[in-house]
Amino acid sequence: MQMLSPYRVLDLTTERGLLCGQVLGDLGADVIKVEPPGGAPARRLGPFLNDEAHPDRSLYWWAYNRNKRSVTLDIDRPEGRALLRRMANSADFLIESFNPGEMAARGLGYEDLAALNPAVVYVSISAFGQDGPKATYADADLIIMAAGGPLMLTGDDDRPPVRLSVPQAYLHASADAAVGALAAHHESVRSGRGQRVDVAAQESVAMATQSWVLAAPLGSVEIRRMSGGVKIGELNIPLVWPARDGYIALTFLFGTALGVFTRKLMHYICERGLCDQATRDKDWIAFGDQLASGAEPISEFERVVEIVRSFTRSHTKAELLQFALERGFLMTPITTIEEVVKSPQLESRGYWQSVEHPELGRSIRYPGPFAKFSATPIAYRHRPPTVGEHNREVYCGELGLSAAELAGLAEKGIV
Amino acid sequence: MAPTLPLADVQILDFMWVMAGPAATRILADYGATVIRIESPTRVDTARTLQPFHDNTAGPDSSGLFGNCNAGKFGISLDLGNPRSREVVHDLLQWAEVVTESFSPKAMRAWGYDYESLRKLKPDIIMLSTCLMGQNGPLSRIAGFGNMAAAISGFHNLTGWPDRPPAGPFGAYTDYVSPRFTAMAILAALDHHRRTGQGQYIDQSQAEASLHFLAPAILDYTANGRIQGRVGNSDREYAPHGVYPAAGEDRWIAIVCETDAQWRGLCTVINRRDLAGDPRLATARGRRDNAAEIDAAISSWTTTMGAGAAEAHLQSRGVPAYQVQNSAQAARDPQMAHRAHFVEVNHSTLGKTIVEGPRAHLSRTPARLQGAGPSLGEHNQYVLEKILGYGEERITGLAAAGVFG
Repeated sequence: MQMLSPYRVLDLTTERGLLCGQVLGDLGADVIKVEPPGGAPARRLGPFLNDEAHPDRSLYWWAYNRNKRSVTLDIDRPEGRALLRRMANSADFLIESFNPGEMAARGLGYEDLAALNPAVVYVSISAFGQDGPKATYADADLIIMAAGGPLMLTGDDDRPPVRLSVPQAYLHASADAAVGALAAHHESVRSGRGQRVDVAAQESVAMATQSWVLAAPLGSVEIRRMSGGVKIGELNIPLVWPARDGYIALTFLFGTALGVFTRKLMHYICERGLCDQATRDKDWIAFGDQLASGAEPISEFERVVEIVRSFTRSHTKAELLQFALERGFLMTPITTIEEVVKSPQLESRGYWQSVEHPELGRSIRYPGPFAKFSATPIAYRHRPPTVGEHNREVYCGELGLSAAELAGLAEKGIV
Repeated sequence: MAPTLPLADVQILDFMWVMAGPAATRILADYGATVIRIESPTRVDTARTLQPFHDNTAGPDSSGLFGNCNAGKFGISLDLGNPRSREVVHDLLQWAEVVTESFSPKAMRAWGYDYESLRKLKPDIIMLSTCLMGQNGPLSRIAGFGNMAAAISGFHNLTGWPDRPPAGPFGAYTDYVSPRFTAMAILAALDHHRRTGQGQYIDQSQAEASLHFLAPAILDYTANGRIQGRVGNSDREYAPHGVYPAAGEDRWIAIVCETDAQWRGLCTVINRRDLAGDPRLATARGRRDNAAEIDAAISSWTTTMGAGAAEAHLQSRGVPAYQVQNSAQAARDPQMAHRAHFVEVNHSTLGKTIVEGPRAHLSRTPARLQGAGPSLGEHNQYVLEKILGYGEERITGLAAAGVFG
């Protein structure tokens, strides 16, 4: 038995919300992806297997539709809507990510479905939320990252702010939506009543500012972007450092918590003959305050940074990682996707999941379970479905349509 | 009367610290879970030392990050190295349904609070451990922060300009991603427990959870052998797709056109109808091939405009656009205000301070902040007396033994 195996999810999301249904499926729910006839628009998003643009070859689709079954249904036609309402009768969750108001305009809004099934948890994922002055704004990943705060903090200071090259905004929103859905579900088990869950990606991505979105309301200085680091006040703080064969992330900071790590690192650097004892023995706990008060000049910070840089530059990423393991330094290598996939750590934990794609006669390696559960481990029960793969199984086997009725709907292009 | 919060019956004993862990239990506290957070009186929570600071002033309670990650929890100070703290932990364990911790592996075992030990005391306990790389494996000993897990998981290499070293995402990126997975794991395990009476142990690697945010790029490698790199702000299919300079120092506007209609709207707004009629630019492919020319045309318009005004003009024509917001701008954003994103809470030493609001807005039983982040040991008395039912003499004795620091 899986954790959420008694529950059914209708997943009507566009590319904005696919992760939400997938994680509920990973946790064991029966997730039915409801796609328009011909396949969901997200199937047209690349990259594609062997760069072959085909609705059953989209790697984007595969990434976020595991552990779902697929049915096709035209919810823009009355017969399609009627069938969706019938499915919603027995659904515990419905997830959608259309523009605000589009489901209600079809007669499939929360109130419409709650009238049929008061226990349903109805989850809406959107860019800016279901209402408000900018709710109808046109959106995209880059737009949301700009609106929510993380974009301004990312990138080189002599160029425009920059996003992560793999779109992130709706993943943050979809993950928040899954948590909200499960909280609402927890309550509906007790009360017998569902509710609407409304998630705005703009708010979700503010999480990626590490609470710096609060700077102005708190009365704090703002933090500013810098190539491979950040600027706080006069300090240029590097966070990306050179190695002999690439780059590493290293936290070189001060204060009661982080200064301890810096002290350890400086002792090691001194042992290696790269700095004098006076430099080693600086008060690394107080150093940040001393820089702020002017007791230590910024040039002294910059001098020390150069010493650390000469240390990191003289070693490979692998050597630096070994030092981090042995000595507890706060550093890890910056890796490519290839290095991630070949990671001995992930290998030793059995992370990667080989998923059979019988329709292709091959298997593909997928990122593994997002957590390891001792009693109810996440299983990859279904590879991402092909378009309408489960029409017969769901419509005839579970909803009780006859073969003739299904054929009739197919003829009319409803399924 | 306010409606009962959705997780009002959930009780969590929380050993987590810094960011990734506490951010997860903060979500659950928003929805009504009672979270008792144990904090060391001797080893300061790193989050308490990190900016931004309330009133721009360092202090034990002034970290906005700490406040944001811990709002609404009960905080007790407990020296876990003190043998007499055990009786308190054991009583809290009997009270709790869920135990959470985010130390590096082995710390809980050293105290005798690993899952095998706890389940002997409470067989149906749900315990979740979250750490950078997971509880086992050659790198499980790596201690540190989410920027390190992000770097070793590919996020840094995929952020920045192709002709420059990696910029890396801002801050401790996996600390933003993994808390949602932590929270949903707990909620799913609670549902299973309610139906079956079975507890369990959950081992979460923050790196492994976060890799789901790179899944398309991972599949591009595992299925196609292609190693994706950083591409600045460009998109694989659409142009224009970028961040353009607006009037003022370090002011920017993000603009994207994914459809032909958006493209025509853009050309109208920037007074370049000639571009709208240019057959080379009629398709997404054509616009991508001529992105530099388009970017120059857009920039020459945006540099004359305030970022907010440019956003309004473009959005009025249905063009995806937004000023690139820092905190001050986000705090004035009417949409963020409409969502009540910035929430005032009363702090025991700071007075009124601000945290971020809950992300998922529930219509019937909305989340409600239970308070600010606790000061160290703020709720010792409340937890011991009201929740555990200790008498005054016992509390005084524990305090005299140095249990609370």
